[in-house]
Formats: sequence, C-alpha cells, structure tokens
Amino acid sequence: MVITESSVRAALASVMDPEIPAISIVDLGIVERVAIAGESVEIDLLPTFSGCPALDAIKDDVERAARAAAPGTKVVVRFVLSPAWTTDRMTDQGRAALGSFGIAPPLLRVGRKPACPYCGSTRTHEESAFGPTLCRTIRYCDECKNPFEGFKTKA
Amino acid sequence: MRRGPVPAVDDPRVGLLLALADDELILGHRLSEWTGWVPYIEEDLAMSSIAQDEMAHARVLFGIVSSIDRRDEDRLALGRAPEEYRNALLCERPNGDFAFTLARHWLYDTADAVRLESLASSTFAELRDAVAVFRLEERYHLEHARAWFERLAGGPVEARHRFAAALSAALPDAISVFEPLPEEQALLSDGTLPEPSETLLGRWLGEAGQALDEAGLDYVLSGGAAEPGEMIPTSAGEIAGEERSVLRVPGVERRDGRWMHAGSFAGAGGRHGRHSEDFAALWGEMTGLYREHPGARW
Repeated sequence: MVITESSVRAALASVMDPEIPAISIVDLGIVERVAIAGESVEIDLLPTFSGCPALDAIKDDVERAARAAAPGTKVVVRFVLSPAWTTDRMTDQGRAALGSFGIAPPLLRVGRKPACPYCGSTRTHEESAFGPTLCRTIRYCDECKNPFEGFKTKA
Repeated sequence: MRRGPVPAVDDPRVGLLLALADDELILGHRLSEWTGWVPYIEEDLAMSSIAQDEMAHARVLFGIVSSIDRRDEDRLALGRAPEEYRNALLCERPNGDFAFTLARHWLYDTADAVRLESLASSTFAELRDAVAVFRLEERYHLEHARAWFERLAGGPVEARHRFAAALSAALPDAISVFEPLPEEQALLSDGTLPEPSETLLGRWLGEAGQALDEAGLDYVLSGGAAEPGEMIPTSAGEIAGEERSVLRVPGVERRDGRWMHAGSFAGAGGRHGRHSEDFAALWGEMTGLYREHPGARW
C-alpha cells in the first residue's frame, strides 16, 4: 500500500466534528497541511475557536484515522495558529451539512444572509452573539417565528 | 517537571507573554464567577463564553512561554506565587454589581483592542500569529461591550448613574493596563513591542475619551460637575444631570479637546507583580486544587 498525501486526506474526510457530527473536519476547513516525510505523516490542523473544548478529541480522532490509513508509520498531529482559521474556509458541502443539521451556516464575507434552517427564509436576525458553544450564535426567524442556531462568522 | 525549580531563562519576551496571558486568565476567572448568576440567560452565555475565550487565549500564550522556558501550562496558570503574576489590577477587581462588570468589560476590551492592534505588527512571529487569531475572537467581546455601553449610557437614569459610578471606580485601574513592562526597553529594541505602552495608552485614552464625550459621560474622567438640573441628551431622551461626586482620575487631562495621559500610573504595580488584597483571595481559590493535589489532571 502506497501512502500518499491524498490517501491520508481521504481518510480524514471521515473524521467528523465531535460537537456537530454532520460536518467533517475537511469540510470545516481545518486540515491545513498533510505531508509524508520519510517514515512519518505530519498533519497540521487549525483550531476553529481557541477555546473549543473539542480540539483534543479532534486531535485524537485524526491520529486514529491517520494511523489506520498509514499503518506502521509515525503520525504527528499538531494545531498551528497560522493562517488563522476563518469561516470562509468551510466548503459548500460543509455549509450544506450544517444546514441539514439545523444550524445555519456562517455569513459569507460576500453574499447572502444565512437562511432559516426550518423554513428557508432569509428574514432572520441575531438574538445573541453567544450561544450553547463558542462557535454558535442564537438567531430568530422573523418569517416562521422560530429561534435557531447559526454558526458564528469568523472573518 | 511540574514542581521543579524555575528554569533560569532570562528572556524579556516571557515577561510580555505573562502580562498578556495573566490579564486574560484573571479576567476570565472573574467572569466565570458570573456563570449561573447573571440576570438572564443570554447574558449568562455571554459572560461564560467570554470567560472561556479569555482563558483559551491565556492558554495559547502560556504555550508560547512553555516553548521558551519549558514550564508546563498548568504550572504557569496555577503554580506560580502571587507576586509572579503580571496582570493589571483592573482584571483582579471583584465583579461588584453588573454595572461594574460591564464598565470593566468595556474599559478592558477597548484597551485590549488597542494593544492587540499594535502587537499585530510585532517581530515575534508566534505572538503575531496568536494575536491574529485573538483579534477575530475578541471582536465579539468588543461588540458586546460597546452594545452595553450604548444601552447603559442611554439610560434609564439609575442605569446611567450606576454605570457612570462604575466607570469612575474602574478608570484608574484601567490606565494601568498600559503600565510599562519592566522589560519594555529590550522588547522595543528588537520590535517585539512595536510601540511603547505610553503611546498605546495615549491612543486608547483618546478613543475612550471620545466615546465618553459623545455619551455625555466625560465627567467620569474630569470629575467636573454638571449644573444642578442640567439636562443631558441621551439615546433614551433627555435626562436630568446627575449629582456628581468630584473625582479625578490621576494622570488624565484634556488638552486641545482630546483626553491625554499626563504621566502618573495610578493603580499600577501589576506588571511588576504587585497586587491588591482582592488578588490574594482570587489566587487562593483559583490555585487551591492545584496546590492541594499536586499532579492532578483535569
């Protein structure tokens, strides 16, 4: 079996965010670098929010997935701060996965407001910038009158 | 190595990192005391989330210290003697009432924004990278603090009075966020600090003073009293001028319409490890578990 950067990346696509299991860490945009260096695999991840308590769990899951994909090699996973992670690193697939999970995707730097995950209306507003986790806000739909969670925009 | 002797590392960057980290750690600890006690749920989430962010920033900075002098993060956060903490006195003050917490929040986060903006061009790459991440997260703290400033400054009357009194009480300590570091000259000479603390203080006071001017709250800086019965325009309509105790923040004066720092550092000492009685109680509680149970993991 030949271990390549793309085979490791493919394995990481099945590692899901522990707090939002609908989205993979690849779609979240936190896999910054995968390198095969001799007998070892090096993976650099970007923290979404500095205080996210899921970071340790994500690191463990990535180590496990990389070891399974590259048996017999040394796996080194670390979090790096450069470049800073921003929500525009999230893929379109990841944004759609958040929506189907009931969390409105983050605002784009350029583009439309997030739609209500219940009725699809963009007539929504922010109720509180702080929500149940550091990466979520509480929004309200002025159309169907439901409160909902939105992914916090980091840009 | 947790309980071993402090390694002899004489790197001025450690002093700066600890000052920044300790501000965030100690303020984060204070804000966490609100968890479960804030008057309503959204604010409870806000205080707890901000506390979580601040402690995370402290942890990132302790990680950089650790890469320099090999002390582990827990030991840096919890295993130092009181006089080894470098936080500004503002951060260690008890939460008081909600008005004081919000006044401190506004003063600290506006000051921190000025400091972080400057550090974004530091020559110290690890710090610069961390600051870039912090600024993306602190933006939400700043928006929260400013929204409360507008809301409380706009009345009703009791809210405005209590907010003004809290600003008056916290301002001398807020100035000491910019107390020069003992290592300042060395840090300036290699560009780790792009600008002197005094320059940052002047910039912050100018900005904060302008916001206070616009809200009709500049008297918390000058101590000048309103005429009895004078009406003050606010976003909630005109309200009667408050009875003001004549109070003056040492070292602050208005020159050519702009608030300036005139030299002295009231409430200073934190950057040199000198703290108030308030810190002793906080330190005892914060580090209690770590001291009682060496090697505990959580």
